[in-house]
Amino acid sequence: MRRLIWLSVVAAIAIAYPLLLSSPFQQRLGALVLLYAIAASAWNIVGGYAGQVSVGHVVFFGCGAYAAMGSYAKFGLSPLFGVPGGIVIAVGLAAIIGVPTLRLSGHYFSMATIAVAETMRLIVTNTDWLGAAVGLSGPTVPRNIFDLSFLSSLPYYYLFLVILAVTLFITWWMTNSRMGFYLRAIKDSERAARSLGAPASRTKLYAYMLSAAFTSVAGALYAMMFGFVDPESGLGILISVKILIMAALGGAGLLFGPLVGAAILVPLEEISNSWLGGRGAGLTFVLYGAIIVLIARFQPGGLLSLFTRRRKPTSDTGASHAP
Amino acid sequence: MLLEARDITKAFGSFKAVDDASVTLEQGDILGLIGPNGAGKSTFFNCLTGDLKTTSGRVLLEGRDITDVTPELRAGLGLARTFQVPQTFEGMTVLENVMIGAFLRTAHRKEAETKARAVLERVGMSRLADAPARSLGTPGRKRLEIARALATEPKVLLLDEAMAGLNAHEVKLAIDLVREIHRSGITLVIVEHIMEVIMSLASRVMVFHQGKEIARGSPREVTSNPAVIEAYLGKRAAKAAAGRTPAELMGGPDL
Ligand SMILES: Nc1ncnc2c1ncn2[C@@H]1O[C@H](COP(=O)(O)OP(=O)(O)OP(=O)(O)O)[C@@H](O)[C@H]1O
Ligand SMILES: [Mg+2]
Repeated sequence: MRRLIWLSVVAAIAIAYPLLLSSPFQQRLGALVLLYAIAASAWNIVGGYAGQVSVGHVVFFGCGAYAAMGSYAKFGLSPLFGVPGGIVIAVGLAAIIGVPTLRLSGHYFSMATIAVAETMRLIVTNTDWLGAAVGLSGPTVPRNIFDLSFLSSLPYYYLFLVILAVTLFITWWMTNSRMGFYLRAIKDSERAARSLGAPASRTKLYAYMLSAAFTSVAGALYAMMFGFVDPESGLGILISVKILIMAALGGAGLLFGPLVGAAILVPLEEISNSWLGGRGAGLTFVLYGAIIVLIARFQPGGLLSLFTRRRKPTSDTGASHAP
Repeated sequence: MLLEARDITKAFGSFKAVDDASVTLEQGDILGLIGPNGAGKSTFFNCLTGDLKTTSGRVLLEGRDITDVTPELRAGLGLARTFQVPQTFEGMTVLENVMIGAFLRTAHRKEAETKARAVLERVGMSRLADAPARSLGTPGRKRLEIARALATEPKVLLLDEAMAGLNAHEVKLAIDLVREIHRSGITLVIVEHIMEVIMSLASRVMVFHQGKEIARGSPREVTSNPAVIEAYLGKRAAKAAAGRTPAELMGGPDL
């Protein structure tokens, strides 16, 4: 019940935000928060719930972004048509990366994901068909509404809000299913989970593929909003790091953790960029580095876990004298 | 024959932790596995459950060769286990821990929950269902291990020192629980240091020493076997101890 009230409040704020704070900067900021919240929530499925820290998630983001822009640049179709293709490629790639690496210990998986992402960035940078270093552009002037090319950030804001809601709903549904229980168990003790019949490798792989699909959608939305993609904005390692840090800061493995993380970090970054211009990028790196250190040192569960921990039943009395 | 291990050898590098051990288990047995620290009991256990790949030898369940079958599939075939060092799912409640086991036989959350609650009732932990598992002490964790394993509806249950770290009263309760599990038709393999537990539960005993089987038979036979006493106490002590009952020497809490 309390959860439901909280949910309604958050939803109401989210719906009202761009109408109350309606300057173009504020609306754009809102849209960006939601966009990164989608990507970070997608990462959360495998990085938070399954505990498999993917550091190369941008590769799926890039699949979506390039598929959306490619659909226009190469075939003259609406970027929307690229979305399913992007999902298929991302999920296929996740399977190819995941099958050999997810059965290894977590570190191998993390390293493999970085390697794949960087390799992909180099390949794309050197592939003329994908625009090489220049990248691909979307429609400069929208031909019709299906091009999803708007001047105002407002339509993007609501589009992203709907997609975020879908992402969070499916995540929530997953956590309440057998798969979600298995993921949590595997995260705590893979050995015990397997001894109880949980197919660990397969479950992690499914989570990874699901996560890849949503990340790909986030990439497609990003490219649609900005109207172009290049190797840096679509496949750059910084995006992987951002996604990861947002989820970790807000609370990995918590449904609304990534949203909280995005709502804190995106404004910080946008404001520092607008104050400092190009030099802001360097500051962003410093900021992220500092956040990583702080999370690792003080709050491994992320900010949201400060609340959930307090609300959990506190009475441990008697529990230690179990029969 | 329910479970059979043929000539199992498990080597870590050149060191053979289990050296050519065989065992057969009939429906309804309670097989006790004893031996001094480092004898290879847990390693042998892990070969049966698939946690470790055997260096050589075969494992058969109901006549089917399961040597190359993964632990999760073995669980599906009716082989359940507990861990010597409890592998509690710390981030979950007690109930959720047991639901992981129950999910093996149903994909539905409600059904798994109902079943898990029934299992908790059976092991006397209903009161703790909603407590965070990390708040449990050793006795609670050991019992939770058993509950989770029971929720998978096993044919064979392997308990690795399920009673280590319990006080005399708790051991008594645990013995009652194991008896109840046995009565319900589950075949058991128990690894135990506490001699009284083996004496009061096991129908057959197998003794390990330095990776090898050195004796087998009824609990009485085994505990009066000089080779066994020697393995536990060393040669000189064994001579000095002549005349006293092995069970006394091997210790365990007073029951
Ligand atoms: N993964 C491993 N790598 C190398 N050596 C191992 C490994 N696991 C166990 N051993 C060694 O194998 C031997 C048998 O260990 P095991 O855990 O099977 O003994 P145990 O009979 O269960 O002892 P305890 O009563 O202390 O539990 C020990 O000498 C141990 O050090
Ligand atoms: Mg052991």
